[in-house]
Amino acid sequence: MTATKSLKSIISRALFKRVSIAPLIIFRIIFGALLLYGSVRFVSKGWVKSLYIDPEFYFGYLGFEWVHTLPGNWMYLPFILMIISSLLIVFGLGYRVAAFTFFLSFTYVELLDKSNYLNHYYFVSLMSFLLIFLPANRDFSLDVLLKPSIKQKTTAAWTIGILKFQLAVVYIFAGLAKINYDWLVRAEPLKTWLHAHHTRPLVGDILRNEVTAYVFSWFGCIYDLFIVFFLMMRKTRMLAYLAVIIFHITTWLLFPIGVFPWVMIFSTLIFFSEGFHQKILFRLKKMFGSKEKKNSRVIKHKKQLLPKGLKTGLITTYVLIQLLVPMRYILYPGHLYWNEEGFRFSWRVMLMHKEGHAVFYMKDRKTGRTSEINNANYLTRTQEDQMATQPDMILQYASYLAEQFDGKTLHYGEQKFKIENPAIHAEIYVSLNGRPSKLFVDKRHDLTQKKYNLYHRNWIEPYHDK
Amino acid sequence: MKLYTSVSYTVLIAIFLGILFNSCKKEEEEPQEEFDKNTMAANMSANIIVPSINEFDNNLSQLESNLMAFKADVSQQNLDLLRNSWKQAYITWQTVKIFDFGPIRNIGMKGAIATYPIDTTDIQNNISSGSYSLSTAANLDAIGLPALDYLLYRKGALDSLQNNPNCVNYVEDVINKMLSESNTVKSEWSSYQSTFNESTGTSSTSAFSYFINEFNRDFELAKTAKVGIPLGKQSLDVPLPEYIEARYSGISLELLEASLIALRKVYNGDSFSGSTVGIGLDDYLVHLERSTLDNTIDSSFGEMISKVQTFNTTFEEALDTNISGLNELYLLLQSHVVYIKTDMTSAFGVLITYQDNDGD
Repeated sequence: MTATKSLKSIISRALFKRVSIAPLIIFRIIFGALLLYGSVRFVSKGWVKSLYIDPEFYFGYLGFEWVHTLPGNWMYLPFILMIISSLLIVFGLGYRVAAFTFFLSFTYVELLDKSNYLNHYYFVSLMSFLLIFLPANRDFSLDVLLKPSIKQKTTAAWTIGILKFQLAVVYIFAGLAKINYDWLVRAEPLKTWLHAHHTRPLVGDILRNEVTAYVFSWFGCIYDLFIVFFLMMRKTRMLAYLAVIIFHITTWLLFPIGVFPWVMIFSTLIFFSEGFHQKILFRLKKMFGSKEKKNSRVIKHKKQLLPKGLKTGLITTYVLIQLLVPMRYILYPGHLYWNEEGFRFSWRVMLMHKEGHAVFYMKDRKTGRTSEINNANYLTRTQEDQMATQPDMILQYASYLAEQFDGKTLHYGEQKFKIENPAIHAEIYVSLNGRPSKLFVDKRHDLTQKKYNLYHRNWIEPYHDK
Repeated sequence: MKLYTSVSYTVLIAIFLGILFNSCKKEEEEPQEEFDKNTMAANMSANIIVPSINEFDNNLSQLESNLMAFKADVSQQNLDLLRNSWKQAYITWQTVKIFDFGPIRNIGMKGAIATYPIDTTDIQNNISSGSYSLSTAANLDAIGLPALDYLLYRKGALDSLQNNPNCVNYVEDVINKMLSESNTVKSEWSSYQSTFNESTGTSSTSAFSYFINEFNRDFELAKTAKVGIPLGKQSLDVPLPEYIEARYSGISLELLEASLIALRKVYNGDSFSGSTVGIGLDDYLVHLERSTLDNTIDSSFGEMISKVQTFNTTFEEALDTNISGLNELYLLLQSHVVYIKTDMTSAFGVLITYQDNDGD
């Protein structure tokens, strides 16, 4: 009884201890700026059109298939909202509404099509979700300027701790995921990816060297596993941060991973000391001429909205979800990379190179005749590439095809075929991490008879190495 | 501090193991000759791409002068010469069309030269009205080599060309349009060549990525458009002879053979003229220690080409008399797609994605 009580009080003290709010304020500004940059970049690359207006079909997430695109150019709306709300986050104006708007519009877009899934998008969704609940506007913000009474010098420790926790989850799970045969023993897929850079001036020959692939693989694994600990310790922090910069800039130079390196480089600043952040905040304030009244009485935090116990419960729930979701793959039999069951939302970054070729067949049940499908008629290039190696998308596409043909009358030459409830088959070959391609889905399965759910998919051909 | 030291040890041990593992592995390996994508690209452009574009341009000039000769002296004999130079251009085109990136892509040459099936009604209407703009999208299926297939080989072709001045003019306009396109591409490649040779990175916008992607796409197109669709593979097994390429001349299978030979030359890095062997995709695979895959691809090319050569009829006749032969051919083509698109591409580490990618 006393043991649990003391544990409770330890947790409570750890979560609600008052600490300087400066790290949170700096984080708000930096992360807001990154969100702004990411959103503007996305629009300016023309991806809104190519990813969310042009396609005919979208691969929704299980349970979220009701999320649909907006008609035509209305798809720019969520992006405009993202740009505005990220600006508001930076300036701390209408902060909570802005954070909520950003989270909602960003996550809405992400939920539309899993062919665009990236771990770093998931990361942004989670971080912007957390931002909604953090008092990151309680200093150096337009909100404070408008209503000085909300200003806080301190914040509960959990508000900064949760951000550190989230970053730790990303790194450590990414590191754990790298402890596998392909990554450590074969140095794949890095060997293939690095080799392809052999024509780069100066570094080409180094990148082509097999030793480099092993060094990168091992270093990357160790880096991911331990960097958070080194960042947390004062003595190693500067060196660790140097490693962060080198590591992410290297990945940025070698791989098309967009803003992710910058997100990590800047987000990890959260691990720096209160003093460090206070200094930056002080300089910022000076730069913007905001007068810090000496001895300005800061109102003691007012009555909390939620009781501490409930807060503790909610934080614990979030933490548990973050720890359990990446582990869910344990529940599935078979090879994780091959079946991709429990693969997403698990911080498995740069781990595999999968290439597939999928031929779909529509079978008229009455005549037994089949037609080969030209995937390009229904999917974009990216969608087709993603679909060809991911079982859940294969099923979604098959059921979409069945819908497309059901009830249609097809005229070929003099012949007419009324298609009803057609069968959809597929023959798919996949190559994983540079191995020779193998049969992934056999033509014998009628995919319209397979249910799309979270159970293990036994219609995927078993994975055999060699 | 304890954690710190243990971590340091882990790092050290890991690096040590990594090096150890490598030095062991290294000893087993054969010393391999240095391979360089830039050298391969230089070979491709100097010995295959540019020569084939030049040759295509020559073929079209020949076609044009043969048309002039025909106009001056309308005869079956001169029509035959005209047809021959048309056929030669069409054969050369099977190489040129692989390189649908850079200058060729910029002017949409692939669609302008060889969109089929053609729309004979559009062609007829253009000819009878005598006024048309051949560069409109609506006229894509009324121009290029397939339009000439119809105009030079349809029933009573000689008669129409003799008696209908609009008809000869149309042929001339179609040829001139192609000539101006091949001229443009020819001159643009002279400056693009160095870009192509240098742009060998892995990003989706590098010339090398385009090249690999178009190589695969061209093969898939040969499989689907030249064989699959007319064979009825996309129409519930109902053959669609109206989709046969160059249906009027009946040279569809010759074009398929030329296309496969062209792709094999590119794969092997053999020069367009066929006289020299250079560095090609095959050498790249061997360099990546994938010689088994190289052998598979090489023999698969051989099988496909000899299979095409077994047909001694036109495609259209084969649809009636030898559909099983065509089906066997199609199967060969289909398995080849997996070798080049899945296995070869993944070995090269070429990224096909156009968006950000974190490799999942």
